[in-house]
Amino acid sequence: MMSEMLLAFANAVGPLAQEGAAAAEPAIPASAAAALAVGLAALGAGYAERGIGSAAIGAIAEDESLFGTGLIMTVLPETLVILALVVVFLV
Amino acid sequence: MSVKETDGTSNYEYVTARVQARRAALFDDEDYRKLVRMGPSEIARYMEETEYEEEVNALGSRYDGVDLIEHALNRNLAKHFNDLLRWADGELYEFIARYLRKFDAWNVKTVIRGVYSDSESEAVEEDLIYAGEFDRQFLDRLVEAGSIEEVVEMLDRTRYGEPLSEAYGSYEETGVLIPLENAVDRTYYEGLMSGVTETDNRANQLYAEFLQAEIDFRNARNALRIARSNADIDPADYFIEGGELFRASELSQISNSLDELVTFIRDSTYGDDLSEALDELERADSLIGFEHALDAALLEYSDHLSHVFPLSICPVLAYVLAKEREVDNIRAIARGREAGLSEDEIENELVML
Repeated sequence: MMSEMLLAFANAVGPLAQEGAAAAEPAIPASAAAALAVGLAALGAGYAERGIGSAAIGAIAEDESLFGTGLIMTVLPETLVILALVVVFLV
Repeated sequence: MSVKETDGTSNYEYVTARVQARRAALFDDEDYRKLVRMGPSEIARYMEETEYEEEVNALGSRYDGVDLIEHALNRNLAKHFNDLLRWADGELYEFIARYLRKFDAWNVKTVIRGVYSDSESEAVEEDLIYAGEFDRQFLDRLVEAGSIEEVVEMLDRTRYGEPLSEAYGSYEETGVLIPLENAVDRTYYEGLMSGVTETDNRANQLYAEFLQAEIDFRNARNALRIARSNADIDPADYFIEGGELFRASELSQISNSLDELVTFIRDSTYGDDLSEALDELERADSLIGFEHALDAALLEYSDHLSHVFPLSICPVLAYVLAKEREVDNIRAIARGREAGLSEDEIENELVML
């Protein structure tokens, strides 16, 4: 499913990039590119959390004392998004 | 509960996380050491403080001693395996359901034996394990059947229908149950293997290999039993398709002598894993020891697989095997204590890693 989404995304951006090259300027404004970077990072984090989250819920269902550990493990990929946010301030 | 086509992908993460937690909660060596020293009622009390609390409490007023332990074990097993099916989706569900059809085979055999020996239907019902594909109502109707012919007819629409009705003729001729039981076993193993072998997924390939190993071991076990009993039976009749080690024709040749069979297994791919078991068999001439070694080898291999492929069917399979062994072990301890066996003798009956 992920690959399908990426493919659709590439198809949408592809023509834009070609037009941009013809006009000799970036296809999309820098701020939009930064937003895109954050969005993609969030997508990646979400996908990572999918697996971890379901495993964590499974573990918590068996042993409630694992709630804290499960929560931390689940939100670990969230750091990806936080790091990606740096890009927004850099551009 | 039938093998349904579930939509969506398999939820390996969720199921394996839960399964690993339950795997870790099984009895360990320490628990077994304690149990071996207890009497039946003490074992029941010990179980009440563990995983089996619910079942022991629920059944405590109706049974006592070894019966209580036995029923609590069966009920707990069924509960856990139904849980597995409840959690799993997609491909994973199908794999688990296929494997758990073992209990259908067990139930069908129990019913047939019950009818054959004219047991009370209540007594038979108590021995059923409701963990397979057949639902409770259907099994209850099977138990009520008055004759083996009736049982075979009722199973007509299930996967066991055709093989059973074919085997029924030879049952009528000989009057022994072996053809019928054999038909049930074969149906189970053939259903288990169909379609699993052709896959690109490495974990599923290993799963298929594992099932093949199980079938090979089953064949080896049957062949050894026949060889040892010196009975004039053609092992090809009891041969289960799907394994790698034996061909039906080879099997009937080599199973005439125990030595030849042992040499054959030693030279096969399983030789390394089973060398200890084979030594034991030759030295002590004990088939029980060998069979336990086979079980232990399977258990160890499944554990290994579950560490190599954590997100696959392998951990679930390892859990199912380990749980079955635990139930068998506790039952062996309880029965052994009741029969007055010594601690050492009981320990020999246990399958532990």
